[in-house]
Amino acid sequence: MKNKITPAFVIGVILCSLFAVLCILPLIYMVLMSFTQATTLKIHLEDVNLFDFYNYWFALTKRGFAEGFKNSVIVVVGSCLLVDVVSAMAAYGFEKKPLPGKEKLFQVYLATMMVPGQVVLISMFVLVNRVGLSNTFWALILPMVGAFGIFLMRQFMQAVPNELIEAAEIDGSGEVRTFLTIVLPLVQPALITLTVFTFTSAWNNFLWPLIILTRSNMFTLILTMSTLSGRNDTNYGLVMAGATLTFLFPFILYIFLQKQFVEGIALGGVKG
Amino acid sequence: MTRQKKQAIYGAVYILPSFLLMLAFTFIPICMTIYFSFTKYNLSQPPQWIGLQNYSKLITNSYLHQSLINTVQYVAVTVPIQTLLALIIAAFLSGRLRNRLGGALRSMMFIPVVASMIASAAVWNVIYETNGGVLNQILEFLGIPGYNWLGRKSSALNCVAVVAIWKNVGYFLVIFYAGIMNISVDINEAACVDGATPVQRFFYITLPILKPITYMVVTLGIIWSFQVFDLVYKMTAGGPGRATYTVAYLIYSYAFQDKRIGYGAALAVCLLIVILIIHAVQNLFFREKDA
Repeated sequence: MKNKITPAFVIGVILCSLFAVLCILPLIYMVLMSFTQATTLKIHLEDVNLFDFYNYWFALTKRGFAEGFKNSVIVVVGSCLLVDVVSAMAAYGFEKKPLPGKEKLFQVYLATMMVPGQVVLISMFVLVNRVGLSNTFWALILPMVGAFGIFLMRQFMQAVPNELIEAAEIDGSGEVRTFLTIVLPLVQPALITLTVFTFTSAWNNFLWPLIILTRSNMFTLILTMSTLSGRNDTNYGLVMAGATLTFLFPFILYIFLQKQFVEGIALGGVKG
Repeated sequence: MTRQKKQAIYGAVYILPSFLLMLAFTFIPICMTIYFSFTKYNLSQPPQWIGLQNYSKLITNSYLHQSLINTVQYVAVTVPIQTLLALIIAAFLSGRLRNRLGGALRSMMFIPVVASMIASAAVWNVIYETNGGVLNQILEFLGIPGYNWLGRKSSALNCVAVVAIWKNVGYFLVIFYAGIMNISVDINEAACVDGATPVQRFFYITLPILKPITYMVVTLGIIWSFQVFDLVYKMTAGGPGRATYTVAYLIYSYAFQDKRIGYGAALAVCLLIVILIIHAVQNLFFREKDA
């Protein structure tokens, strides 16, 4: 293919670049504002002091962000571990084991992806309250296991050769050892992708924590953030510092694991 | 015990943890919600069976009518715009910009996807702010009077839609881009030899091959938009008036704010039915066109 630089091409590049800038501009604005003490919204660049972490300090120590941060980390780490282990096991069972009726069950799992969150949340709220799990981390971690993760892992599990598993069995490797030392290392890229997804959805989860957490010392970072900015809260610098804090971790994760993000979306396609 | 049988038992053991969790946190809650939708239940007293009363009350609920109109309008704004933007950008970037620049642009467009809805809403609230918000500052600079973006019935919902589009384009772009990269180079080269222009190639090669992916993107977009909650909660809380009440927001306010579990459940079941119908219609439409 010849690559001539046509006017149409140039215009396309300009438009795409403009759109890309438009995508990150609000976030740059967020970070800049977080370093100001302004009570008005007009950005005067001389107000921006990138060495003034007062808003961050205030949010972390006085507005519960440090605690929210700790809670979010616990929930995210717990969710990632649970989802990885349970999804990998289920995917292995579905893909490699001759269990009668498993395909029907798998279809039922997949069908749950169509069910809107609210349908589940209403009764989950009733159930979790009934068994006394409200205001616990369990209430946030356990429901993170879902069809998406199992579906994603199964896609990768297909690439694990059956011969390899059978060979291990013939060589006398036990069931557990085969799974841990042969299967899991082979699907490791999938586990990383799944972890990335679980991380962001657990971290950014809002509606369920909002419903189930009533004690502010259990609030996740996102929930703490949402209490910060009433629409009448005029301390915009502080609000933007809070928003930046919630954005920071998923963003760092994205910088380092960009490939896994993109791969997971392209492969799974369906999320949530 | 035969090997086959043993393997089947192992299979059951592997699947069991996921099954128990799905049972407790998905299957049972769905059934309970359907049951609650036929009851009057406010958490303090046991559910009381009232048959179809919740549903008949819903039919005449003017809040629901307004929310339905709002939700449909919201879907009608977000889905076509985000799908078209993602498709066009993906086609352009994958055609001539498979280089560093294209990669950088894609990375930038994806960044809003990882931001939480709540942080996004906080930032956009500030952008839309009437007094001195960025948008009005720009307008002022151009000599146009400012506008109360989130406070006016005519604009509030569309302003929320813009944020959703901003957050979603990067996600769907990735899906389209991957789909286009899977199209074999030979087809495009053959078309080139035959003298097809890039625009012709887009309409006669790329688009038909991307049909299943487009179908998925549209379905996903509709389902997400139908369930919009976080943005509405944080940006407008349903207001001004009822201008941004959506179905998901209405469920939240009935079931969790007013603790009318039964009534909220009936509304949630209606949402489920609507989404199932969308799936069915799209399946039908899609299959017919394929045949």
